[in-house]
Amino acid sequence: MLLIQFLNALQFSMTLFLLAVGLTIIFGLMKIVNLAHGSLYMVGAYLGLSITNYTDSFWLALVIAPILAALIGAILYSILFKHIQNADPMKQVLLTFGLIYIALDSVRLLWGTMSHSISAPNILSNSILLVNEPYPSYRLFVIAIGLIVLFILYIILEKTKIGAKVRASVDDPETAQLLKINTDKILFYTFALGCGLAGLAGITVAPILGVEPGMDMEVLVLTLIVVVVGGPGSLKGAIIGSLLIGFVDSFGKVYIPQLAQIIIYAVMALTILFKPDGLYKR
Amino acid sequence: MSLSLNNINKSFGNIKVLNNVNIQSHSRECLGIIGPNGAGKSTLFKVISGNLKQDKGDIYFNSLNINNLNINKRARLGIAQSFQKNSLFLEMTVKESIMLALSHKYKITFKMLNSLISNKAINNDAMEIAKDTGLYDYFDTKSDNLSYGLQRQLELGIAISCSPKLLLLDEPTAGMSPAETKDIIKLIKNLSAKYSIIIVEHDMDVIYELANRIYVLDRGSLIFEGDAKAVKNSELVQNKYLGI
Amino acid sequence: MHAVNNNPQLRLQLFFALLVSAIIANIFGGYFTRFFVAEIVILSIFAISLDFIASRGGMVSLGHAMFLGIGAYATAILTLNYGISPFASTFLTFIIASLIGLIIAYFIVLLDGIFFIMVTLALGEMFNSWVFTSDYLGGSDGISGIMRPDLAFIGIDTNNPLVFTFYVLLWLISIYFLLIKITDSPLGKNLDAIRQNSNRISAIGGYTKAYKAIAFSLSAGIASIAGSLYVQLNGFISPELTHWTVSGEGLIMIIVGGIGSISGAILGATVVHIVQHELSSIINWWMLVIGFGFILIVLFMKDGLWGLLEQIQKKLR
Repeated sequence: MLLIQFLNALQFSMTLFLLAVGLTIIFGLMKIVNLAHGSLYMVGAYLGLSITNYTDSFWLALVIAPILAALIGAILYSILFKHIQNADPMKQVLLTFGLIYIALDSVRLLWGTMSHSISAPNILSNSILLVNEPYPSYRLFVIAIGLIVLFILYIILEKTKIGAKVRASVDDPETAQLLKINTDKILFYTFALGCGLAGLAGITVAPILGVEPGMDMEVLVLTLIVVVVGGPGSLKGAIIGSLLIGFVDSFGKVYIPQLAQIIIYAVMALTILFKPDGLYKR
Repeated sequence: MSLSLNNINKSFGNIKVLNNVNIQSHSRECLGIIGPNGAGKSTLFKVISGNLKQDKGDIYFNSLNINNLNINKRARLGIAQSFQKNSLFLEMTVKESIMLALSHKYKITFKMLNSLISNKAINNDAMEIAKDTGLYDYFDTKSDNLSYGLQRQLELGIAISCSPKLLLLDEPTAGMSPAETKDIIKLIKNLSAKYSIIIVEHDMDVIYELANRIYVLDRGSLIFEGDAKAVKNSELVQNKYLGI
Repeated sequence: MHAVNNNPQLRLQLFFALLVSAIIANIFGGYFTRFFVAEIVILSIFAISLDFIASRGGMVSLGHAMFLGIGAYATAILTLNYGISPFASTFLTFIIASLIGLIIAYFIVLLDGIFFIMVTLALGEMFNSWVFTSDYLGGSDGISGIMRPDLAFIGIDTNNPLVFTFYVLLWLISIYFLLIKITDSPLGKNLDAIRQNSNRISAIGGYTKAYKAIAFSLSAGIASIAGSLYVQLNGFISPELTHWTVSGEGLIMIIVGGIGSISGAILGATVVHIVQHELSSIINWWMLVIGFGFILIVLFMKDGLWGLLEQIQKKLR
């Protein structure tokens, strides 16, 4: 039973991670928080829904939906954020806020207001026996996706030239600009990547949580807390923060449902008091 | 007023920026701190003002150990600073900026129901300060619309509004034209009659004109102390500044 | 963060123009118009509370609907469970919300602007989910049966929409002039300065955290007054009042109106509420339109409608 809870928490943490990592890298690089990040999560899920319905293949949706989400991110960056890069960060954040409204109504216009569901692909629709307990293999799949993404991002950030450029741009944007690390291109790809990851989170989790308008904000709040606690711009902070919040939330809801929220508040409050830059400063 | 820095050490990572720096400052003197680029002047300034904390060593202000006091608390003790890069309230006029700073001197910052601008006493005090800092003709000009030189003067004006016991000036002539520099030197000279001042400067001529006593910093260590004449005649100092 | 802050003359003129319009609409309008005006007045109070901390302190809150909720639910509980008069409970909720605001402020008030938005959004959403699941507060059904103040002893019937609308207008007028005073006071000026350059205020010995906390606490209290009046207007409360879209609407109102002039916030509240009402009766996708409009205003009209009025005033000189 404990193993089941543990795996559920881990699965939830991985979902949070996919969302938080995109948000935190955008925050670290562009110094803005994209409040419409949850909207991209939602759009990813809906696009995945349509692709699955149209092609009868979840796997296709799993691949294409994030790419489409990344494309939307790329377009948003090119027509909006690129041009106001030097404006007051607050202005940019307000813009992302306006995008939430646009995304929400667009989704409702295109897909209606009912909730939908996506079935997990057949190979993953069964349960695996773990220590004599059946556990849905799809959830293990979600965990795996999270870990794979973590691994890939780690390799990119730490071992590649482009990763070094990203880290440089986060740590010291002025110097990076002087060294002609082509920050604008980096921002473009990173923003698109962040949006793509949000879309990936959406389609990945859709078979578990369903697809409905309103899913954008539910998840945004916890994601924001993960970024605040973990520290903006830090990959390490994103994974540690996701695990921390994910486990507290999951175990909390099962064992002490009344207090679960308060504990998360408390974690956030303590972080703000003692480590206002987050646990891991990039 | 007495300020005492005893054996101040500060490193950034592996780089030792301040090495056993000892400084004494007394009332009514204008103390200058000079040194070539990278000497540690900025760091020393920030340690005194409270923007940075030293790794080792003590700072005493009027016999009180202020090591653990942050900027707010040091300001309330009477240590005022003006910034190297203008730190103004750009949307406010000269009058509003100075009156705002004065609201702290008059200790009325928690008052919620009286208009600040209508306060006659503060208004008059603000006019005096504007006169002292050469801003009287620009009293109702928005800070954003002032020329750079005048903004530097306002920078000073805000700093002296709290009748500080010690005035810290961080490169007051930074970025100024020769004409603007002349104006500000005259201004600071007048101020030094009223306030105890410590100036950190890069421009040696400015320091020679203003300072009674000068400390010379080089790569984190104090290499010389004396008045302007002594510094000018010191071979040691001239060698260090060669090529600058 | 940008805000307007210096045109007391226009500020008062705009306020009187809006006040007179409200009074005329109230006297000559029908039942629905009077209800609508009351709604606008209450939303204006909410918008003012947001405008105050945005322009004085540079704090943009996306969670203020929680204080609306505190005002509303506290009023419901105080009047229904404890028999306290609606009038007194409005004052009491002000105190309760201010205290809660003060406690929250202690933690969040020195956070950088963007962090501040994130944290207030999170707090607001958490309050929202708590309210939705709390049995004591009626869960998703909310609470109903809240009464309006009983002024029968002076021969006034607050159930008459004409009367109640004047009642809430009185609250708005009082709050407005109180905030004008505070805005022009040393505390208000220091808060304005903090928005522009909080480092300098610290450097001259200011109690930055204390000033901001007072502002936030006051703002929470004012928002709760709006909540209290709202629940008296409608007679019931549903947890939707604490949804993030309500906080968001408030933010939209002050951006449209132009942050900083207080009168602008009232103008913003009026325009946004009217537009939203008209739009939603024609199309389903009014949020899309408002989202676009909002983005356009953020991009091209940094002083909102107030900025427009200032330009007109300049041209007329």
